[in-house]
Amino acid sequence: MSTHTEHQAPQGRQPLDVLDPRVSRFDIVQEGARRDDIEIVHYEPQVVPGSKAERRMTRTVASFFLLTGLAATAFLIIYIWWPWQWHPGRGGDKYYTPLLGLTLGVALLGIGFGILTWGKKLLPKEVSIQGRHDGPGTAEDRKITGETMLYLAEEMGVRRRPLLGVSLVAGLLPVGAVAAAPLVGGLIKQPHENNQMFTTGFAPADGHKVRLVREDGRPIRPADISAGGQLTVFPGISHGVSNRHADSPTLLIHLRESDAVASREANARVGHEDYMWGNYAAFSKICTHAGCPASLYEQQTNRLLCPCHQSQFLITDNARPVFGPASRRLPQLPIEVDEEGFFVAKSDYTETVGPDFWERP
Amino acid sequence: MKRRKFDVAAVPAKTAGAVDDRFQVATPLRKLLNKVFPDHWSFLLGEIALFSFVVLLLTGVFLTFFFEPAMTEVVYNGSYAPLRGTPMSAAYASSLDISFDVRGGLIMRQMHHWSALLFMASIVVHMLRVFFTGAFRKPRETNWIIGSLLFWVGFLAGFTGYSLPDDGLSGTGLRIASAIMLSIPVIGSWLTSSIFGGEFPGTIIISRFYIAHVLLIPGLLLALIGVHLGLVFKQKHTQWPGPGRTNENVVGERMFPRYALKQGGFFMVVFGVIALMGGLFQINPIWYFGPYEAWVVSAASQPDWYVMFLDGSTRLMPAWEVHIPIGDGYVIPPLFWPTVVLPGILVGISLAYPFLEARHLKDRKHHNLLQRPRDVPARTAAGAMALAFFVVLTLSGANDVIADKFQISLNAMTWAGRIGLLIAPPVAYYVTYRLCLGLQQHDREVLAHGVETGIIRRLPDGRFVEVHQPLASGDGHAELDYVGWVVPKKMNRLGALGPAIRGFFYPIEKPAEAPVSPGHPPVEPRTEREEIGSGEGRR
Amino acid sequence: MTSDNDRRRGLLARLRGRPAARSRGRRRLGAALRLIAALTLAGGAYTVFAPGVQAQENPPLTSAAAEGKALFDVSCVTCHGRNAQGVEGRGPSLIGVGAASVDFQVSTGRMPMARQEAQAMRKPPVFTADQVDQLAQYIQELGGGPEVPEGDLRRGADLATGGELFRINCSQCHAFGGGGGALSSGKFAPSLRPASDRQIYAAMLSGPQNMPVFGDNQITPEQKADIIAYIQETLKHDQDQGGFNLGRYGPSTEGLAIFLVGLVALVFASLWIAGKS
Repeated sequence: MSTHTEHQAPQGRQPLDVLDPRVSRFDIVQEGARRDDIEIVHYEPQVVPGSKAERRMTRTVASFFLLTGLAATAFLIIYIWWPWQWHPGRGGDKYYTPLLGLTLGVALLGIGFGILTWGKKLLPKEVSIQGRHDGPGTAEDRKITGETMLYLAEEMGVRRRPLLGVSLVAGLLPVGAVAAAPLVGGLIKQPHENNQMFTTGFAPADGHKVRLVREDGRPIRPADISAGGQLTVFPGISHGVSNRHADSPTLLIHLRESDAVASREANARVGHEDYMWGNYAAFSKICTHAGCPASLYEQQTNRLLCPCHQSQFLITDNARPVFGPASRRLPQLPIEVDEEGFFVAKSDYTETVGPDFWERP
Repeated sequence: MKRRKFDVAAVPAKTAGAVDDRFQVATPLRKLLNKVFPDHWSFLLGEIALFSFVVLLLTGVFLTFFFEPAMTEVVYNGSYAPLRGTPMSAAYASSLDISFDVRGGLIMRQMHHWSALLFMASIVVHMLRVFFTGAFRKPRETNWIIGSLLFWVGFLAGFTGYSLPDDGLSGTGLRIASAIMLSIPVIGSWLTSSIFGGEFPGTIIISRFYIAHVLLIPGLLLALIGVHLGLVFKQKHTQWPGPGRTNENVVGERMFPRYALKQGGFFMVVFGVIALMGGLFQINPIWYFGPYEAWVVSAASQPDWYVMFLDGSTRLMPAWEVHIPIGDGYVIPPLFWPTVVLPGILVGISLAYPFLEARHLKDRKHHNLLQRPRDVPARTAAGAMALAFFVVLTLSGANDVIADKFQISLNAMTWAGRIGLLIAPPVAYYVTYRLCLGLQQHDREVLAHGVETGIIRRLPDGRFVEVHQPLASGDGHAELDYVGWVVPKKMNRLGALGPAIRGFFYPIEKPAEAPVSPGHPPVEPRTEREEIGSGEGRR
Repeated sequence: MTSDNDRRRGLLARLRGRPAARSRGRRRLGAALRLIAALTLAGGAYTVFAPGVQAQENPPLTSAAAEGKALFDVSCVTCHGRNAQGVEGRGPSLIGVGAASVDFQVSTGRMPMARQEAQAMRKPPVFTADQVDQLAQYIQELGGGPEVPEGDLRRGADLATGGELFRINCSQCHAFGGGGGALSSGKFAPSLRPASDRQIYAAMLSGPQNMPVFGDNQITPEQKADIIAYIQETLKHDQDQGGFNLGRYGPSTEGLAIFLVGLVALVFASLWIAGKS
């Protein structure tokens, strides 16, 4: 059905008079393309007007758009009337978000595929060729631009008047610093304020030893943990169970008799003779590698695994790292039982708690 | 007084005239509408990233209306019963409210998160396409650099974003991030305490991340994306080699009418897929994670997929601590190498690659034609090597999930990752290199002998031979030069057998047309020109 | 009278807690009877609660325990030895592990073990619920130990407290969603999905395999009820709010989904868009 005209060579052709009323719209379009150095070399309708194929495609596109309308309406209905507030169990509210997603997705896909089918199947196929012109500018242009820029420098005469250059730099540098100063100065914060990187909430305050408490603040008796059990404990101070003391969470472990013997020997080797109380040992819960709570305690193998990077610490060998990327033992908290029968920390940790850093001794 | 007749039909023309009077847009607009874009499916991968960024902006703006970026402690009293009465930060409480008490809030949150994952995924896939086809070569090095930066800025956007809800999982990630900053020699502790406003976690990090996530980083992304697109526009898109396609032209479709329609439709499709995923697949169910508490953690704690390779490298790193015995002694922890040094090296290599390659090949020419990966075995193999490296690291980032679900020892997974990281890239290099050479070889064979027809002929002396259909006209085995084009390998591509199956992804060529691959329009310059053939064509 | 009373105020008088007001003869008779009863009771209790030593002889087992012993002697004796004393290198002693341990190990099918491996796996149980009870009764009578109480194990539970306790004590191994997780060298924390109330309770009490023990002294029965309610109602019964949960594996399956579903769908779409048919 496409019609063909004689191909005119782009070079040396007569420009089309686009204002001439007899010229067709396509000719004008083509002329415009030529002015942008584009040659439309192939332009072919895909469907014959009025043909069965065209009617079928039209129906397809239309049904996509109608589908969108349907889905969008469904979205609105669901949005407004579907029970959406959370209820425990398996109620209808659990389908609220999926239904919204489904209807919204179908609506958007309907528009998308409608437009795509329209463009892809009903518009003529074309192949156009455009010149790139991405070569460098002409030597003349480069020269002119270069000279223009140099001209500016020459007119300003920095070379002849060096004082201007020096004073400009001398003036600009401090101004740049002024721009940066509030930002840097406001943000910067001394990391060793109150020696915070080396202390935890277990540091005795006014000579009082700090109790070990549970997450609800109750102090802990030795009888509270069965052999083979472990408990996350916190310093019994104000806000001890909060992120304000993110370095303080500690794992209190009640070792079995044989493991406790091995553990005591290992502790003695690193100079932690009296850190345990009976068969109870307390180690920092904060991994020395990246600071995750290393708290996957295997009570038979006595390994403590960190779930973030799989460092493994052997509790019966004073929490020595035996696998994974951690390079340092978990610090041990020296503990004892006070006269009321509750666990207390004898002192703060004797090693730095938490991930490593440059100035850790 | 005679009333002037108001001609509705003339309104557009009059308005257009008025606009042009003032802004002189007719000529530039014509150029824009006429701009020719080459058409190939792989050129649409970058569009996915662009469109998902638009969805990110739309959904993100919605979320800001309800999110409260504060770490003030509140007691949750929303409708999700299993957390009611729990003390938590205002940020987490408002994220829960978005999920449970804002109508349609959950789907917006999920769409935002899915489009973030899609944004990063399509950036990576687009980057691979650009790399393997050599589209980064001169004059497009700048765009390659911007693209690489977009990955890292997107990485930051993702990290700051998923840290905002202040839930148990993201808080663990934030804790690791603080440990990474701490591990930097000399300045580590200063940097960390400056960013967190004191010791981890402090009370300000969420508000700082918030302003970074909603203003600074999106601004940077917008600027980079703008320049990226502007350069594509200015430098014109690369194209595959093929008949009629040269280094000096662009063969394809003009922006109007068809190309723009396709783009608009594709945007809607991307949007629709994100909406479907946002509704049908649950992502980041923060209500299970609970508020962040420094002592709470979950098995299988992982970052989002685009951060997972760093998590993997951290898991695989042996416990090598550098101790510097000066004064009290200084430490470079093992965390420093896989999380600071490795990304630094990766950024450096990716930014410098176009220049390294050009220098190595002493190549100063402009390249507007793409290369088939098989034609540049060294580059393709190097890319496969990098990909293998990345995949091993990413898998290692999920090695505890893999170990658990496939019942493999966790320690064995770590060792497999360590060994795999050393072995997989060279193996990938070798295999890819051989594969490229083999594919090239086969192309050359087809060009020399023709396409296998599947017709077996028995020769008079009893031998059986397969009949080959020569590609070149003329008698028998006129050898064709290999010029980096797609070579037809099947008879139905040649048209000799007619369409075997109605193609969907590999549409069948019409017999009369030149042998080309899908997505490569046949563009033999013809002697005649066609024009609109519809009845209304000439008015 | 007062002194006489004081003199006679022995164990029983103290048990009664108030001075007797009846005739001396009846009092003596009653006292003697009660003494006999108390001795019988104490002896009985001793045989029930005394560890190991008594088990050597033939303790008077209840009928359920006798049934349990019969089962034990058929299925368990190979590894755990006669009278559950344990066999070196094969199976541990079961003296003192209590009914809770038997309850957990046998009802989840972990015991009897098919072979020695890094960790016993959950299997379809070999014994019926009644048989499990009999075995548990036997082990309980043999050596004592923790027992799972009867009745509703999540009565009056509070979900929020349960969630808080779950995140502190359980999620590090069993994961936020209760799907389980890997431990060192091939060991793992199992998924909580197939676990019943009773099994969770028994596991906390007895600390099977590498799971730490969470005795009633550490987590009270009420708190256990909270945890069980959180696991059963919130993690298991409550349907996910945001659609298909991708197995609740966290970002790893989400990453897989964006490539396998999102990106694949869009690449197919772009193949179609740029295709020429």
